[in-house]
Amino acid sequence: MSTNHKTFGVLAEFANPADLMDAAAEVRDAGFKNFDTYSPFPIHGMDDAMGLKPSKLGWIVLGHGIAGLLGGIALQSWAMSVAYPMHISGKPFLNFPAFVPVAFAIVILLASFGAFLGLFFLSRLPRLNQPLFNSDRITKATDDGFFLCIEATDPAFSEKKTAEFLKSIGATEIEIIPE
Amino acid sequence: MSMDHHHTTLTDRLTFPEENKIATAFFGAGFAGIALSLIGLFVNTEQFFFSYLTSFAFIASLVLGALFFVMLQHITRSGWSVVLRRIPETISLQLVWLGLLFIPILFGMEFLYEWIRPERIAADELIQHKQPYLNMPFFVIRNVIYFTVWAFLGYKLYRNSVTMDRQASDAIDRQQRVISAPGILLFAFTVAFASFDWLMSMDSGWFSTMFGVYYFAMSFQAVLAVVIALVVYLLHKGLLTNTINQSHLHDLGALLFGFTVFYAYIAFSQFMLIYYANFPKEILWFYYRFEGNWIFLAYLFLIGRFVLPFILLLGKKAKSNHKVLFGVSLWIILLQFLEMHWIVMPILHQESISIHWLDLTLLLAFVGVSAGFFFRQFARHSMVPKNDPLLAESLNKH
Repeated sequence: MSTNHKTFGVLAEFANPADLMDAAAEVRDAGFKNFDTYSPFPIHGMDDAMGLKPSKLGWIVLGHGIAGLLGGIALQSWAMSVAYPMHISGKPFLNFPAFVPVAFAIVILLASFGAFLGLFFLSRLPRLNQPLFNSDRITKATDDGFFLCIEATDPAFSEKKTAEFLKSIGATEIEIIPE
Repeated sequence: MSMDHHHTTLTDRLTFPEENKIATAFFGAGFAGIALSLIGLFVNTEQFFFSYLTSFAFIASLVLGALFFVMLQHITRSGWSVVLRRIPETISLQLVWLGLLFIPILFGMEFLYEWIRPERIAADELIQHKQPYLNMPFFVIRNVIYFTVWAFLGYKLYRNSVTMDRQASDAIDRQQRVISAPGILLFAFTVAFASFDWLMSMDSGWFSTMFGVYYFAMSFQAVLAVVIALVVYLLHKGLLTNTINQSHLHDLGALLFGFTVFYAYIAFSQFMLIYYANFPKEILWFYYRFEGNWIFLAYLFLIGRFVLPFILLLGKKAKSNHKVLFGVSLWIILLQFLEMHWIVMPILHQESISIHWLDLTLLLAFVGVSAGFFFRQFARHSMVPKNDPLLAESLNKH
């Protein structure tokens, strides 16, 4: 570990999901942006409590889907009418009903790639090091722990004040996480 | 800061206000429709029976779709839908007397079904081969079976549900699942064969193994539209506003979106396989339905029943937007009727689309009586299954 102790953020543990949700709303109302919550299971309503905007993932998937649709039709139109025109039981070369299954499959394929890779991109994965794991306590987030971490990159972050603030809104444990 | 995200008791009024007379208005319209249609019966008997079958198949599809919705909620033990389940329950109760509405069709079979006419049987070897299945006594027996099964399911699931309004009961709640599990299997067979009998056999040379699924796919998309339209209507009447929330509506919207795609998938698959193989026996059904301006209806279904709702309902916000949902729902219900028209009517009017006044009066009759019955029955009991064990989960949905 480097001697230069930069701080990643302040980690606060809460007693239960309801406390964590209330705390997230307080943190949101206090104007923090770069924070995240960690719990063993999804908590319904947390998106609103944290003030998260709707994910951009849908637009990425839509873009890929449209590209797949146009690409699938273009590919078949070119192949079936320009590159390899063939008479198939008297059907026209540009036989759009017959193009639908392939175009549909390509839409699904590209949209799934979009969803999968888009999620990686938006989550900034792959990430080789997650400083949160410098804390031993955070592993409880896969068991029975409910955590909120305000990161040092937040403009309103101040190690001491933020820690006090989290304590004041009901955190049971506070820990400063080094980078 | 208090966050009001937990409420477990119903705070709305639970009875539909009878003073707004909507049931009476629908019954009035329905009886006017019946009276006008009876005149038509003598003016143009053949047209009467074709129009009758169209409207019957339309209303039956909605009522059967509602039964499927209810059984699906029971076998999956769905919590989310409890607050709005009384709506499809009340719709599917109509299965009790739906069989009575089928009886007039038995008197018009010589117009509707060529396989019953002796001269057609004599002339067509294919019909002769199908005689063991397509004959009058077996047709009647099959339909008696269908309507008995449906009447039992529709009645029992509704009756159990309102019985629990008086007294919560784990035994009855369990019975709902015990009935629904085999019920959904019986539903699959009876609806598929009913659609073969009512609609597919009109063109007695034609067959499509997908036709049952096609009728079901249309029905379920359309009944989701009906449920959504009714929920939005109730909310705008100021009813159940603390009970049915945006999240319930969003899930209904998502189901409508999903089954819009399912409908398109099934309808297109049926068309594409037949179109591509291009066998005379199979293609003729589509040939007649693409002839003249009938093809405009086919394109209307492609654009109006798939592309348009797909785009409109794609966004997350649209799925719970009252205006979008209400508009799309009414539009899909209209197209459901037109698609029944497109399936039935080219046999009578081969050259071009012809909407006869009997189509409208019989539609008025069926919709009036059916909707009137729905609202009258809906007002008789609580609008929400208020003792359902999963009610709290449903109220807390977000």
